[in-house]
Amino acid sequence: MAVVDRGSKGRAAAAKATPAGAKAAGNRQVVAVTPGQLAAPIIVPNTLWQSSNPLAYDGGRPTDVTHLREFGQTDAGRNDAVRWGALQVIPTNADYILDLIRANSLWPLLSGLACCAFEMMSAATSKNDMDRWGMFPFRASPRQADVLIVAGTLTTKMSGPLVRLWEQMPEPKWCVALGDCTVSGGRYKRSYSVVQGIDRVMPVDVYIPGCPPRPEGLIYGMLQLGQLVKDRRGHWNEREIGPTVPDDI
Amino acid sequence: MPAPQHPPRPQTARPAASAASPASAASPASKGARRTRRPAERQPSLDDPRIMLDRQISSDLYEPIPPYPTRTEREAEFYTLGDGEMFLNVGPHHPATHGVLRLVLKLSGEQIVDVDPVLGYLHRGVEKICENSDYYHVIDQVDPLEYLSSLFQEWPAVLSFEKLMDVEVPRRAEYIRVLSGELLRISSHILYMGFLALDLGGLTPILYGFIERDEIVEMLAALTGARMLFNYFRIGGVNGDLNHEFMSRLGDWMSRAGRQTEANAGLLNENEIFVRRMRGVGTLDRATALSYGVTGGNLRASGVPFDVRRAHPYSIYPELEFNIPTRDEGDSLARYLIRVDEIRESLKIIDQCLHNMPDGPVMAKLPRLLRPRPGRAWGAVEGPRGMLGVYAISDGSDQPFRFRIHDPSFVNLETVTTLLPGHLLADTMAVVASLDPVMGGIDK
Repeated sequence: MAVVDRGSKGRAAAAKATPAGAKAAGNRQVVAVTPGQLAAPIIVPNTLWQSSNPLAYDGGRPTDVTHLREFGQTDAGRNDAVRWGALQVIPTNADYILDLIRANSLWPLLSGLACCAFEMMSAATSKNDMDRWGMFPFRASPRQADVLIVAGTLTTKMSGPLVRLWEQMPEPKWCVALGDCTVSGGRYKRSYSVVQGIDRVMPVDVYIPGCPPRPEGLIYGMLQLGQLVKDRRGHWNEREIGPTVPDDI
Repeated sequence: MPAPQHPPRPQTARPAASAASPASAASPASKGARRTRRPAERQPSLDDPRIMLDRQISSDLYEPIPPYPTRTEREAEFYTLGDGEMFLNVGPHHPATHGVLRLVLKLSGEQIVDVDPVLGYLHRGVEKICENSDYYHVIDQVDPLEYLSSLFQEWPAVLSFEKLMDVEVPRRAEYIRVLSGELLRISSHILYMGFLALDLGGLTPILYGFIERDEIVEMLAALTGARMLFNYFRIGGVNGDLNHEFMSRLGDWMSRAGRQTEANAGLLNENEIFVRRMRGVGTLDRATALSYGVTGGNLRASGVPFDVRRAHPYSIYPELEFNIPTRDEGDSLARYLIRVDEIRESLKIIDQCLHNMPDGPVMAKLPRLLRPRPGRAWGAVEGPRGMLGVYAISDGSDQPFRFRIHDPSFVNLETVTTLLPGHLLADTMAVVASLDPVMGGIDK
């Protein structure tokens, strides 16, 4: 169980000239990031198929900016009003109180992808009753949900719809990665079609490992998330908006 | 014959002024600026949370009308709207599609005219991973395919490998396999009953069903160490012998299982709303079922008494006494009632296994590194959804050269294209849920 407090970390990383990951040893070459200069993006070339329309999907050209993380380390990215103004959401002093209320009624989105979804349902039904902590009403609409529990393997084909669901959820919102597949790719580390950890496509607050985790594991992770909401209350605008892949993996 | 003209795409989803906006004019990647919903004066895509992976599946792909010219005649026929018809997209994220199935429905009013199932949202490349794993690791890799009853996915794999290597499985291991498998079949059918009611709007049966399911997976966790993805069967036996906790939990549960099953079934069988929404809906006739290759309870509900346990016996099933329940109606209600009957038969099988359990080892003696002779083998078992098969080809190395997985859910789901047209939109979920698809196996 790992709880990521991105609030303070993001501040610390932004204050430093080079991130700590630049010195980490690993099999991947680590690019030192300086403010104002974007790191090399992770580009997954599309070699599987070719669209019959040559102009579709921008003709296969890469995007100019891929990671919000690098943007967050620039001057413009440190300005909360710039980052969150786009979403038209700015927390106020009232959120110090409102977040205490939110922490006790975290409503998840009903989104099951694969095996872990059944352990999620098991956590919600009779034996392990998540309703005891105010977590039960699984909302079928992202407009009414606070937490996205990504339960199951996220494939590249499904990542687009899932990111769209995440974007449709109103702020403040949190994301729980349930199961090994969503944490890191898990047993599909060698697969060509699985996203190797959902933090490559969206920010994650709580990681719950296991294949699949027991329902008690999910409940414990959700309780940790409640504590995280309380710890971070009034400051959820310090959370990053985009993916949070660490540099040194 | 010239292909029909591709219908013009609706322009409403796109902001028309994107080409004239200053942001996109300044940037060469004008498509990126169009996709974001930010004001035009902002820099393009700086807080676009999507990365490259999402780029390949740009927003065009989720719209019912594909962004490319139609490639087949069937596609051209489907995506040409007739008079008064409309498309409705269901999924890939939908509470009642049992995973990440996407159905594009062509509707005339509230009536379904045509349906185009879109698969692949859970494609994990398991067959390829299996061909790069050695024979022991394959058993772990196939688990998440049939994730509701993963022992039935391990079973054909070990069955085909045992045929490749001429391994004799100890009788006690066979009994344990049948015992744990039938427990899991009951668990899967109980969840089937619950989800069927849930998709029709009834919340109660799933709450009762999960009590039984949790008890079954907990006792299997005492036996195997995991609740869902067991990795329990081995080539030439099973991973561990029966233990005290499993047996005591099983005894407790068996003392009330029959009564509890009847009570759970009574919740639905005597519910008039449920019965009237299921009867006569999605009727699959015998010839169609056979021509599609439907197996399992869906086929037996159409009047064909085909069960792999009897037709192509494996393990110790020839020694056991059980019936093959069949029905002639072929509708959704029949498919549901078949499952209820199968729970009763599985309880009988468990009872016989417990009474006749022999002593002895649970594993055959095998070398650490398996290198079967070149050859090919087909292993098939009767899972909760039908015939699960594995066709393994060995080239003499320690990894299978080809590992073909046949999944019954895939075949069963194909029939929605014939079952759904003519029905109302509200019957979609009843029909799809009564076919009992599991997307892990369908997309592999």
